Amino acid sequence: MVVLHLGACDGQLFLWGETPPGSKTKPKTGSSPSLPYNTTAKALVSAASEGGLRLQVKRAVPLHVWLPAWDGVPLPSSPLIADTPTEDTDPVLALWRITAIALSDDEAFHFLAACYGKEMLAPGVILGSDIRFFKKILRFTSALVTREQFLPGVGEQDGEFQAVWEPVFLSNDSDKLTTLAGVMPQVCRALSHKAKKAPRESSISVVSKVVNRFVDYLVRLSWMEKRPARTRSRKASKKSYASVHDQWIQALRIWNGSMSGGTEELEHLAGQIRAWRRSISVSAIAPFRLSFRLEEPEEQEYADLWYVRYLLNAVDDPSLFIEVADAWDPGKQTKSILARRQANIQEYLLTSLGHVSSLDPVLEESLKQPRPGGAILDTAGAYVFLTETAWLLQQAGYTVQLPAWWSSTAGARNKLSVSASISSPSMKSAGSLSLDKVVEFDWKIALGNEKLTLQELETLAEMKMPLVKIRGQWVQFDAKAIQEAIDFWKKKSRSQSVTARDVVHMALGLAETPEILPFEGVEATGWVGDLLDSLEHGAEIEEIPVPAQFEGTLRPYQSRGYAWLAFLKRWGFGACLADDMGLGKTPQTLVFIQHNWETNDQRPVLVVCPTSVMGNWQKEAAHFTPYLPVMVHHGARRIKESEAFQEEAEKHAIVITSFPLLHRDFEALGQVNWAAVILDEAQNIKNPNTKQAKAARALQSDFRVALTGTPVENNVGELWSIMEFLNPGFLYSQAKFKRNFFVPIQVDRDMKAVERLKKITGPFILRRLKTDKTIINDLPEKQETNVFTNLTKEQGSLYRAVVKEISDSLEGAKDDGIKRKGLILATLMKLKQICNHPAQFLHDGSAIPERSGKLTRLIEMLEEVYEVGDRVLIFTQFTEMGTMLQRHLQETFGHEALFLHGGIPKKHRDRMVERFQEDEDGPLFFILSLKAAGTGLNLTRANHVFHYDRWWNPAVENQATDRAFRIGQKKHVQVYKFVCTGTIEEQINEMIEQKQEVADSIVGTGEQWITELSTRDLKKILRLQKGAVQ
Amino acid sequence: MSYYDHYYFPPSRPRSVEGGIKAQSKRGEFGQTWWGRRWVQKLESFSIGARLGRGKSYARRGQVLYIDILKGKVDSAVQGSRSGSYDLEIKLKVYKRTEWKKLAESLRQQPFYVARLLSGEIPEDFERIMKEHRMPLLPEPRNDLKMECDCPDWSNPCKHIAAVIYLLAEEFDRDPFLLFELRGITREQFLYEITGAKAVKKKDSDEAEETAQAPVPLSPGDDFWEEGALPDDFYGVVRTPPAPAALPKRLGKFPFWRAEESLSDVLDPLYKKASLRGLRVFQGED
Repeated sequence: MVVLHLGACDGQLFLWGETPPGSKTKPKTGSSPSLPYNTTAKALVSAASEGGLRLQVKRAVPLHVWLPAWDGVPLPSSPLIADTPTEDTDPVLALWRITAIALSDDEAFHFLAACYGKEMLAPGVILGSDIRFFKKILRFTSALVTREQFLPGVGEQDGEFQAVWEPVFLSNDSDKLTTLAGVMPQVCRALSHKAKKAPRESSISVVSKVVNRFVDYLVRLSWMEKRPARTRSRKASKKSYASVHDQWIQALRIWNGSMSGGTEELEHLAGQIRAWRRSISVSAIAPFRLSFRLEEPEEQEYADLWYVRYLLNAVDDPSLFIEVADAWDPGKQTKSILARRQANIQEYLLTSLGHVSSLDPVLEESLKQPRPGGAILDTAGAYVFLTETAWLLQQAGYTVQLPAWWSSTAGARNKLSVSASISSPSMKSAGSLSLDKVVEFDWKIALGNEKLTLQELETLAEMKMPLVKIRGQWVQFDAKAIQEAIDFWKKKSRSQSVTARDVVHMALGLAETPEILPFEGVEATGWVGDLLDSLEHGAEIEEIPVPAQFEGTLRPYQSRGYAWLAFLKRWGFGACLADDMGLGKTPQTLVFIQHNWETNDQRPVLVVCPTSVMGNWQKEAAHFTPYLPVMVHHGARRIKESEAFQEEAEKHAIVITSFPLLHRDFEALGQVNWAAVILDEAQNIKNPNTKQAKAARALQSDFRVALTGTPVENNVGELWSIMEFLNPGFLYSQAKFKRNFFVPIQVDRDMKAVERLKKITGPFILRRLKTDKTIINDLPEKQETNVFTNLTKEQGSLYRAVVKEISDSLEGAKDDGIKRKGLILATLMKLKQICNHPAQFLHDGSAIPERSGKLTRLIEMLEEVYEVGDRVLIFTQFTEMGTMLQRHLQETFGHEALFLHGGIPKKHRDRMVERFQEDEDGPLFFILSLKAAGTGLNLTRANHVFHYDRWWNPAVENQATDRAFRIGQKKHVQVYKFVCTGTIEEQINEMIEQKQEVADSIVGTGEQWITELSTRDLKKILRLQKGAVQ
Repeated sequence: MSYYDHYYFPPSRPRSVEGGIKAQSKRGEFGQTWWGRRWVQKLESFSIGARLGRGKSYARRGQVLYIDILKGKVDSAVQGSRSGSYDLEIKLKVYKRTEWKKLAESLRQQPFYVARLLSGEIPEDFERIMKEHRMPLLPEPRNDLKMECDCPDWSNPCKHIAAVIYLLAEEFDRDPFLLFELRGITREQFLYEITGAKAVKKKDSDEAEETAQAPVPLSPGDDFWEEGALPDDFYGVVRTPPAPAALPKRLGKFPFWRAEESLSDVLDPLYKKASLRGLRVFQGED
């Protein structure tokens, strides 16, 4: 494992890393000790390659870093590296030697771009906070370049001249630079070449140097398109140019910006560039910024007198404004404000006012008086100011304050809008209903919450004023467009063809309506109203009885989920059930399938899920809907031929298959007309361009369901693909979606776009959280679930081999021999280990990922929990497995996992428990050995408990579960017991479930009873059952 | 073109100069601003025939080796057809400091004029005010403008002077304060007369930079390993501007441009590309 770091040292960026100590490298002699967590050059090169960097070991150099430390123990960046020393005293800075590799601008730039949106580059390669910070610098830089806030220039260093692209920090960009520097982790500037004094370069200096370099790099890159050779020459070419200007513009457009020539000539060029840039440098260094405030007419009698007030806004204190009128001949107070900022404000003021006066004749006129303080406008002029001048001023770098009613968010109440009203007969008297039914349609205009009559509006339209005062509020009024909008709605209300579908589309904001009068919504009575209510608020969905052949009871919220699915199916909409993990998406889906089957639709339902949960679906279906015929489409012997498949599928109620087969067997799957297609773990189609996603969309079905435990609605990028599967076209084309939603939300954080998107998607996503009050009441305080998983092929063959071995040895053994007992117990142990992970059985420290069905499922489930930020206990009875889990979780999530076992000293244990319980940012995962931690501890911060492997005694498991489920627990506790289908674990599970009600003691304290079984019975128990292997 | 011009000075190709000052206007008239035009008109009023056309082409071909604008005069050298260049000098009448002081007093009553001047523009009726103070900014008909060139042409102005006058017109377009300098007052001195305060000098901005670079010792506090949070709307609206290279355009022409390619021809496509690439990087697509 490596935590990668990037730091600045003498204007250069260096990559280095921390690795948990263990393989000790001998510290060489020297004045400063080498960092115990130092990542070796080789490991550094290999970790960096995950971010696309091609480095060589020979580029590594020794460097120093100053880190907080206690008496020779440095503070690691993360507990993943080492335990944080628990000292009461404050740490002091100490010097450590590390291995680092200097990155070129090209390497640093592309490396950081590769780190975008990631916390880790690969399992076990974690990005330090400094890299996260440099990503922000890169993002800020690219924003500057996008907005073209840069200029060509020359830079001089030690008598060498360079043609450079330099950022220009106008108005609030300089504030942003300061803000950015303010959040920089100190470690970014903690590197040094020499071992003397700690670095003292300020954050802002570090940040601005990096911004400068990245701006220069990015502008050249966009022009050159090809990346520079790594050994980028710094020598100026000998080529002779006709003039220094020719050389300059040439050097700006190639990778090598060096310039040759006489110093005098180059200094002259630098002087010319300064003269050229003078107008912006005056404003860039001014301690104030010119600001304009539009003020409404104050009194009725002067209703046409608007005023633009000129203000000076202090750069270092955005809340401080001085009236320009006072700045010409400052009074005592103003004078002291100006003096404190050493401001000769007049040059800036005059230059800026001269500049803005050319933008607008009214502003120009104001300057013909001595000491101007503002400009007077009439209403038409105010409108021009609002719509044009203000924008021009902002473009030119000045700030503008407009009345609240004008700016979009605050002024919502001053917006004209239209709403529609629909009256339709009630459900009962309406006869047969469908979305194609024509409905009665009427419309209304409102200003904020106040209704306006059509006549009022038309009278205002006749006035042809761009701003009108309606009922005391100023409103923008485009008379022509408003007349057109009126005509549009008049026509619509007279037409006879508005259907319920049109109304639904209008209500969701999907219909095209004139923009000038934004469409605010639909008020409807009767069945259309009910339909909209149900869609928009999930209210009033009529509960439907649980089908007779469904085995099991539904909790109230599950009944609602089931009714919701049936409701959307009834109206032909797709549904995304996104309940929190553990709320029972599977039973809700199964009861719906049963309902559908019983209410005459006997076509098969297709369930597509990850390979790791196929077994679970099978088990759950057998449990809840035992009368439905289930077909599993998986494995080498599956039916691939289309017609045969169709014939077979149509004999079943449920066909279960996996995502990989969705595409591979599409020919067969696409043949069937499914009653419903259900995607479990629907985030598998989050990328709409994958073959899986395309195949999912192409399946024939009247009804589509997506199941997922991750909060889909928060991930705008992934939402399109899922919605396109569920309700094609609702979010428009991918390109239009990107334009209308993705970019505004992701890039501009446009809250209105968020609202619009919620409005469209909300009706089709049902997500209940365990923390919802309504759900809490429905939930038992502790809910136990069996999680059935399959073995991988490797696990299966190991399992069979062990079973064969014992069968052979048992043939000769006496039934009651001690040796036989020992043999059986050892075998049980081996089988459990194989179920856990092949590497645990082989004891060979081999690779962890993708070899255990159980582990794969655990990670999938933890991903959901991790996303929500819940805390988790994971129990295992094997220390070796615990160690493997700890390593694997840390490398997968880049997040610390605690492991408490018998070998941990008391002091450490207490500290672990304390961090888990008390620390806000503490670790989310706590792995515990069943024996060492089954009793005593109080771990109520956890609300998920996983039993990774099983113990014969349910009382022991329950005791362990009670670490979380005890006094102090405020949440509901979900308990998951992992069971490998068809293995000894399932035998144990069944045994426990049957006996538990009788008495815990019958099964007793262990596995002794198995040793007493006859060889025949024993073989039966141990044999690997059908369907155990993936 | 008169017969005599041909007789005495047959048209000859000037020796080519590498990297001389090149006019940024490639065809048509010089002087895009009204004051630039007036400056050129002054030259053209001398009726020197074909010398004007040759002066123009000299200015465009880069025959002018350098131009120094000083208080009250311009020094320059132009490469003609012979080896060795011609030195020339253009002088304008200089006004006294007391005269400027008086002018400043009246300008303070109407900040409009100074404001526009500072933003790079001489307001149309500014010359009227200057004349009221008997200190016209642009050359007057008689005795105001003195020109001298050491070329053999008997005509004054000659084509060499013409070339320099044309180039100066472009420079005045860019920075009207250069005209003030020819009249004896620098931009800084003029500003001092108007505002009574010393101009912000380059030195001050250096100082500001130095404070930013003042050493800050490392501290082993909480922010050592942890980054702080940025405000939600930190990056603001990030869009490609509607027209490219607005910022350099706002700065106007580059002083005495010497390269073959015009600066804006170089910058426009470059800014466009950079902005699009920047957006890709910003959105994480690169």
